[in-house]
This record gives sequence, structure tokens and C-alpha cells, in this order.
Amino acid sequence: MSFFGVDLAGSALSAFQTAENTVANNLANQSTPGASRQVTNLTPQQPIAGSPGNPTNVVPGTLGDGVVVQSIQRLHDDSIDGLYRGASASQNFYTTQAQVLTSTQSAFGEPSNGVNSAYGKFQTAIGQLSSQPASLPARQSVLTAAQSLVTTLNNVSSALLAQKQTVVSQASSAVKTVNGILDQIAALNGSIRSAAAAGSNPNTYKDQRDYLIDQLSGYASTQTAIQANGSTLVTIGGQAVVNDQIAYHLATPVIGTAADGTAAFKIGFEVDPNPANPQAISLGSGKLAAFSDLYNNKLSAYSSGLDGFAAALANEVDRVTQSGYDQTGQPGASLFIPSTGNTAISAGNITIGITNAANVPTGLLTTQAGNLVVPLNAANTIVNPTALLNANTSLNNPPASAGISGTLSVVVDGAIGLFTYNTSSSTADTINDFTKSFNSGHFGVSASYDTVGQRIVFTRDPVNTDLVHRAAEGATAPTPSFTLIDSNAASSLATASGANATSLLQALGAVALASVPQTAANAFGASDNGAVNALTTTFGIPVGVPPLQAVSASAVLTTTATVTLLPATSGAFANVQVGQLLTVDAQAGGGPPQETVTVQAVNRTTGSITLQFQNTHAVGFSIAATPTQSLGTAYGNLIARLGLDTSTATAGQSSQTSLASQIDASRQSVDGINVDEETQNLLKFQNAYAAAAKTLSVLNSLIQTVLNDFAGK
Amino acid sequence: MRIATSTIFDQQTTSIDDLQAQNASLAQQISSGKQVNKPSDSPELIAQDLTVRNAVATQTQDQQNIATANGALTTTDGALSTLTSILQAARSLTVQGATDTLTSAQRANIGVQIDQLLNETIGVANTQYAGQYLFAGSANVTSPPVTSQNSPNSAITFSGNLESQGQVQVNGQTIPLSTTLREAFNYKAADGSADVFTVLRTLRDTLQNGTVVDQSSTPINATGTSILTSAAPGGPPLASTLGNAPLAVPLVADSGAGFSITITGQNAAGATAVVPIAFTVATPIDDGSATSVVGKINAATAQTGVTARFDQRAQRLVLSGTSSFYVKDVPTVAGGTSSNFTTAFGLASQADTVQNLSTQLGSIDQVLNAALSARSTVGSRINVLSNAGTQLAQSTNDSIAVQSSIEDVNVAAAVSRYSQLQTALQAAYTTTAKLEGKKLFDYIA
Repeated sequence: MSFFGVDLAGSALSAFQTAENTVANNLANQSTPGASRQVTNLTPQQPIAGSPGNPTNVVPGTLGDGVVVQSIQRLHDDSIDGLYRGASASQNFYTTQAQVLTSTQSAFGEPSNGVNSAYGKFQTAIGQLSSQPASLPARQSVLTAAQSLVTTLNNVSSALLAQKQTVVSQASSAVKTVNGILDQIAALNGSIRSAAAAGSNPNTYKDQRDYLIDQLSGYASTQTAIQANGSTLVTIGGQAVVNDQIAYHLATPVIGTAADGTAAFKIGFEVDPNPANPQAISLGSGKLAAFSDLYNNKLSAYSSGLDGFAAALANEVDRVTQSGYDQTGQPGASLFIPSTGNTAISAGNITIGITNAANVPTGLLTTQAGNLVVPLNAANTIVNPTALLNANTSLNNPPASAGISGTLSVVVDGAIGLFTYNTSSSTADTINDFTKSFNSGHFGVSASYDTVGQRIVFTRDPVNTDLVHRAAEGATAPTPSFTLIDSNAASSLATASGANATSLLQALGAVALASVPQTAANAFGASDNGAVNALTTTFGIPVGVPPLQAVSASAVLTTTATVTLLPATSGAFANVQVGQLLTVDAQAGGGPPQETVTVQAVNRTTGSITLQFQNTHAVGFSIAATPTQSLGTAYGNLIARLGLDTSTATAGQSSQTSLASQIDASRQSVDGINVDEETQNLLKFQNAYAAAAKTLSVLNSLIQTVLNDFAGK
Repeated sequence: MRIATSTIFDQQTTSIDDLQAQNASLAQQISSGKQVNKPSDSPELIAQDLTVRNAVATQTQDQQNIATANGALTTTDGALSTLTSILQAARSLTVQGATDTLTSAQRANIGVQIDQLLNETIGVANTQYAGQYLFAGSANVTSPPVTSQNSPNSAITFSGNLESQGQVQVNGQTIPLSTTLREAFNYKAADGSADVFTVLRTLRDTLQNGTVVDQSSTPINATGTSILTSAAPGGPPLASTLGNAPLAVPLVADSGAGFSITITGQNAAGATAVVPIAFTVATPIDDGSATSVVGKINAATAQTGVTARFDQRAQRLVLSGTSSFYVKDVPTVAGGTSSNFTTAFGLASQADTVQNLSTQLGSIDQVLNAALSARSTVGSRINVLSNAGTQLAQSTNDSIAVQSSIEDVNVAAAVSRYSQLQTALQAAYTTTAKLEGKKLFDYIA
């Protein structure tokens, strides 16, 4: 008889006690985030040679030495952690984006109450004024609508600015949290190392560490590697943020500058030598990456899109209003001006420049009512505008049958447009051909034929201006006046009926216009509706968005060149974007080598743009934004982009949440705690414990039997 | 697969959240009636939606513009209708006056009526619509633009201009809104012909004062030519001699190689005089000198009461007398043949009030035609605008339909989907409640 059996039962009691403790721990942590399920691994105690279980003498077999707890194992699959953290980073990225973009979308107020609606009302007010050009209430409503439009632009611009500031401030808080997490991970690395070195299994520390890394992955894409000493190396974008017990803190986000000089949101390390403009960490995904992306690629893009719209709106509308006349007969002013000084117009820097309704320019200068033009028909004849001009006896002074050729120079705002004519060719062989060819020159002046008055009429037409002229005008405000110069002098027989004309203007009955500047004094235009009609036209045609009209200070001799704008026009490209189409030309008046080029880079620090050319250009060549879309379309595209971004973020939030949830479920299937399962284990180990206890009790009774039976002998 | 207890609850929470979000979105769609409440609801259509919204706004404004234009044009049409009635009345009165049997007192009475008609036309010329003078052109006029000078009227002044008051742009077509004073009243006509006021004034003067005007009823220049072209209308005349004047009926000199006429008229004292006037081929028609045809005739005005001028625009030699007068071709050499001067210059051998009134009927017809032509132009503009208005209304409807198709929610589908989601949500609630029920623990005694 030995007490060996008692030892065996005792080992079982001890082991099952431990197993029950593990179950209790699991149940206690069933809702603890990051807690992994633990299991008690039991193993038979190896018998020691010579012990009752493993006697050296020959017996029927080896009896074990009972049961021992081999380990309390933490069930955890590190490989799923990586998957989960990737999905969690994406989920947080899209969730953050969706939150900010949804509120940005609200700030725009589309489709009911935003800029589009205000722009529509402005268009409507212009439309109303076009039918009542003299009406003061109609003029006032244009000003009211313009004021409302700029206020809306200002408001949306402020909201975008506020959003940007919110993003920076939220990112700053997030960085503080991240730094806290990094510190905790570093500390846990230390604890895990110490425990491992002591031969312990630091399950709880590992749970805490993994949970912290899970949290970290919500802020940025993290990668981990278990080091030989048991610590975990945590990296973001390939750069270590926790190495062993050292945490490398992220710096508070700053608005630095990108390579092209534009403002850029940057998160660097605290140790960066240039804290004002640090090397940005590649954040991958997660909240911080979302903030960075929101600031640099979303909110800034919306801002510049809105600025481009505002600048193009001001550019196009002002071009017309400055070319017009107000009700008091004064040259028109800009309807839209920058809020502060002589700066580039943007959505946040735009206000109205006309406050008095009488000063709304509605009229355009036209020669029709002036005293410089006489009917071109001979007495008692009517000129057929489709009949050939040469030797046409309907004309007072027809060109001779051989025809005349020469050049008509159209001078507008100092820019000269050249119209080469030949009354024997289709450029000017009939009145209709002349007006058509002349107007297609886009000189800023249009010709038409007044069949009642039998007169050619020239009208200042700010909409019909080519980009080269616009660029040549540069920063100079357009003016209403214009001058026509015929390269041929009028015949000395000019006044004799039937005498052949020697200049085109003479043939057209407009000889008196030659070299005489058309101004309010000798032309007409104070209160018709030419300018408002021109505005109506402007709203429907493609324009350059964002606008640029400038002159290059340097020549271009290579295919790719960086162009620096003349000082006078610096700031003109404040809104110009990479990828925008520009038209460049050697000189006003057209002719090769005009070409359309794409902006490849914009350097706002040096004030230069990089363009890919096909031709060489002399110094002083003009650069103008190529008309690609109407103002309404440009704004619509901006809103479509905002909508798409928001929709993508919302959809991404939904799908990534679902993905992360599924991966988490997979992970939980390994390390998650199931109460029912633990209950079963509880019962199982309880029963096992009870059995061991019974065994002990039986063994005890055996011993008692022996002791009691022989005690009294 | 084993499932962690927390996973069960997490999954329920996630799916309930998702269903609630969908429900909220549908509820917003149903309550607003719009499926596009923000750009992200339909990024692919939002740009079109914004464009269509503005198109609807501007098209509606265009329709209002057309309505305004229609009002102005209809008023113009009414004014022109009145004008043509006045001119037709004037014409009837003229025909009445051109009767030999009328006494001068009776003619003077008719003249008074014509004067009233003249004043009426001035009223018509100052017609207003919505505070704007319809015939004032685009000038910023605050008082009646056409004002009568003196009483009885001897001239008018016009403070407006001859521009269109404004244009309506419809489908890229520019339609002038107003009719100019030139178009309606032949004022400062391109062909230099008299305006309504001048025609009526001349008529009145003829009837009241017996002023006689003889002017050829048709231009005398040959087709495609013009006599005495000057630098500008009203500029100094240039010498064009009888020998080379491009006349429709060529001049034939008399047997003395000259051109002689006699003018028989009355001087201011009422004495009749016969004044012979002779020209040569080298005599200018009207160079401003006293030796021209016009100058020589005017030199005898004191005796004949007849004055001459050459209407360059009308290409007519105009003789005016204070009473009846005669113009006759006579030979330069006694007994010889006469030239055809009066024929070539379209002068009647006798000019008197009756004949003169008949001639003036032509002038009335001319301004009447101008007014009718202006009215037909206005009519066609009203027509064009009416068509454009119909078309615009249609395209506005189309735009609204497009907007509706983008923005408006299909209520039936949305409500059905809403019910479906409600059911799913109820199921999720029930499932969650069940899951929160018994655990194995509950069964352990």
C-alpha cells in the first residue's frame, strides 16, 4: 500500500482546478476587446524511473504519474491579424472620409440651395434685363442676384476652409492618440520581453499589444514583425514607429508645401529636422491617411475647382461689362471684383464691383447710330447682300471689276486684329461674305448689315474675341471703344456717285470709320441691351475654366519648357491646374504656330508653368485658357466629383466595415470566447474534478480501511 | 465553425445599423419626393441635374421675356393700326380736297382736319408700354420723345434714336422688340423720302394756304445713276450740268441749242408775270450758284412766287409756288423748236392745288406703305415669338421632365422597398431578442 494513488488524484485535482480557472478567466473576458480565448493544455505526467508509476522491476506495465498542466495556451492566429488590420485601416479611412465629405456636401447645399441655384438666378436676372434694358428694377435684380451669388461662393469657400481646419485639428488629436498607443506598445514590448526571458507565457500582454496594434491600424496602415526577443517591430509606410521599447512619435500635422509650391497637409516624425515642412510619412490607409487625402486631394481640389469657377465667372462677365456702357453713358465697370485689393479672384475673394443699378452696363458700342456711317447704296437702289460687290451699280462706290484687296486692322484694347480682304474672293466678295469672314476673325468687333438703313454696322462684341486677343489684352481691362483702319486710302473721287472705291470701307459706305476711334462721342451704345445679350451668350458657350490670359516673358525653343509669366500678369495663373488645356500663339491676330498645350506642372513658388510644346515661340507669346466647357458645366463637374467622392467613401465605408467584420468573425472563430463552449468546459472540468475527488475519497477509504483495521491490533 | 459570443452580437448590431441607415435614406426619399437629395445620391447624374435646373429657370425667364415682348409688340401693333387709320383718313380727305369744285374755304377746313390728324400722329409716336416710349428707340427718354414745334405745327423734334429698344434672343435668333420711328413713321428714311409728319404738314399747308408744289411724280434719273451725288445727305451740291445729267428721258435741246422755259406766276402783290429763263448745256442743275437751273428760277421768285430746289435723294426737281403757276418750254430762237426740258424734268405744264394734291397722294401712299410694312413686320415678330413661346414651353416641359426623371423618387417602388426593409428590420430585432435569451448556463441546475 502506498500513497501513490493519492498523489495521482491530487495531480488531477490540481490540474482541473487550473482548467476551471482558465474557463473562469475566459468567461470573465468574454466581452473584453482584444482578449483571446485561453485553453489549459493537460498532459500525462511522465513517470520518473523507480517511482511507483515506473518501477524498475518487471510489472505488467508502466503506470503514469498522473496529470499536469502543460501550458495555458492563448489561442490566436497572427496571420489573420494582418488581414484584419488592413481591412480596419480601410474601414477607418472610408468612415472618416464619409463623415467629412458628407458634411462638405451639405456645405455646398446642392442641388437645391447652393452656388448652382444662385448662378441660375443670376442668369435669370440677366435674361430679364435683356428684355427690359432700361428698367431700373431689372438692373437692381441683376445686382441682387450677383450679390447673392458672390455671398454663396464666399460661404461655400469659408465652409471648405473650415472643413480643412477641422481636418487638421482632428488629425492633430488623432496624432496624440497614436503617440499614446505607440508608447503603450513600446512598454508592452518591454513587459513581454521580460516575461519571455523568465520563461513565462505573457498571454495577457500579448493580447493587449495586439489590441493596441489593431487600434493603431485604424489610424494608418501598419506592418508588424515579431522579433527574436519577443518584442514586436511596428512600421508605418516602411518606417519604424515602435522598435523594441522605443516609440517614434508622429509630429502634429502641419500645412507645408508640396514640390509644386502648393500648400500640402503633412504628417512627419517629431524628430524631422524641418518641422515646418517635414518629410511626409506614407500613411497608406486609416484615419490619418484619410485626413491627409481629404486635405490634399479632396477639399483642396474642391476649393481650387470653386476658385476656378469664380475666377472664370468674373473673367467672362467682367469682360462684357467692362466693354459696355452704363445707363449714364459711362464705360462699364467690373461686375465682379476681388474683395481685397488687386489680388486674384477666388471663391472666397470675390464681391460685386457695381452697387448702383444705373451703373449696370447693358449697352455695347455700335456704329449704327453714329454719324460716321452712311448708306452704301446708290440713290434709289437697294443693295442685295448676297450680290457681288465688284462693279455693283447698286453701291454708291462699288469696287472696280478687278476688285480691291488690302487689310482691315481692328484695334481693340491695344490688340490688333488683321482682316485680309479681297473683294474678288470669298473673304469679301459680297456683303454677307464680308460680315461672315470678318466675324470669324474674332476681333472683339462684329459686323452686321442693316438692311433697312442699308448700312454696315460695326459693334463692339466682347464675346467674339479670340484667345490670342484676350491674352494680348492681358491684365488690362477691356474697353468699349475700337478703331478700324483700312490699309487702302479712300479714292479722291470718294464723294462722286458711281466712282470706284479704292478701299473696302469706302465700298461699304464706312469710309469715315477709317482710323477714327469709335467712342461714346461718335458711336452709340449707352442703353441698348447689347451687353446683357452678350452675357446671355457667355453663359452658353465654352470658356476657359480656370481662366488664364497672360504673356510669356521668355521664348520657347524646346518641346518641353517652363514658362514664367511677365511680372505684370503674375498671379494670373493662381487657379491654373495641371492638365488644363492652354492655347498659345506667337502674336495677336492668329497665324501659326498657334497650338493647344497641356499644363504639365505648376510651380506656385517660382510662378511658372511647365508646358509641352510642338513649336518654338518668340518672346512675348500669348497664353490663354482654351475654352473647354461652359461655366455651368464646370461647376456641375465639380459637384459630380464631390458626389462621386462622397458616394465612393460611403460605399467604401459600408463594404470595408462588412469586410472587417467578416475577418474579425474569422479571427474570433479562433480566439473568440463562446459562453456556451466555456460552460461545457466548466461542466467537463467540474465533473473531472468531482471524479478525481471521488478517486481520492476512495483511496482515502482504502487507506482508512487499512489504518482502521490494523489500528486496534 | 465556432462562433464567438461577441461576434453574434456584433453581427446583429452591424446588420441592424445597416438596415436602419437604409431605412432612414428611404424615408428621406419618400418624405421629400426626391431620390437625389445630395450629390452623392447620384454622382453620374448630378451634373446634368444642375444644368437642367438652370435650364428650367432660364427657360421660364425666357418665357416671361417673350410675354413682355408680346405685350410691347401688341401695343406697337395697336399704335401702327391707329397710324394707318389716320393716314387712310388723310388720304380720303386729300381725295376730297382734290376736287375742283371746292372753295378755298372748304379746303382750309379740310386742312384743319389734316392738322388734327397730324397732332394725332404725334400722339401715336409717343405711345408708351410699361412706362417706355415704344418709338423712342434705345435712348433713355423720360418725356415724350416726339414734340411738336410751334402752333400750328411747323416741325417736330425727336429726342429718341433709331435703334431697336432691345432684342429677345430665342434659340439663338435675335428678335428686335421695338419698331423704330424710321420704320413706323418713315422718319429720316434711308431713301430721303418725307416722313409722316412732313407729308401731313405739307398737305395741311397746301390745303390751308394754297401753297402749290410741283414735283415730278417719279424720279428723273436714269436707272443705276444719280444726279448730283454729294458727299453726304444735305452736303453741298456738286455741279452736274444739263449736258451730262443722266436722265431717264434724255434732254433734247431746242433749235437754238439751248433750253428755255417760261414761268407764269403771281408775285406777292397778286400781279401775274411771265418770266423767261434760259439755260445752256453747260448750266449746272444745282451748284448753289445763281447761274444754275435752281438759282435762275429762284432769281425770279419775287416775280413768279415760285421757288426751286433739287431733291437729291428723291431725284426730283421741286418747284413750289404761293399760288397756281405754269411752266412751259419755249424756243430760244423765235420761231424755232422748243426743248423738252419740262418733260425731261417731269414738270407738269400747269401746277395747281388740285393737281398738287393728287401728287401728294403718292407721298401719303408712301408713308402709309411704310406704316403697313412696319405693322406687318411687327405682326410677323408676334408670330415668331408666339411660335418660339410654344416651343419654349415645350422644351421647358421637357427639361422639367428630365429633372423629374433624375430627381423624383418612384414612390411606389420606394414605399415597397421601405416595407421590405421594415420587415427585415423587425426580423433582425426579433432575432437579436432571441439571441439574448437562454444560454447554456440557464440550464445548469
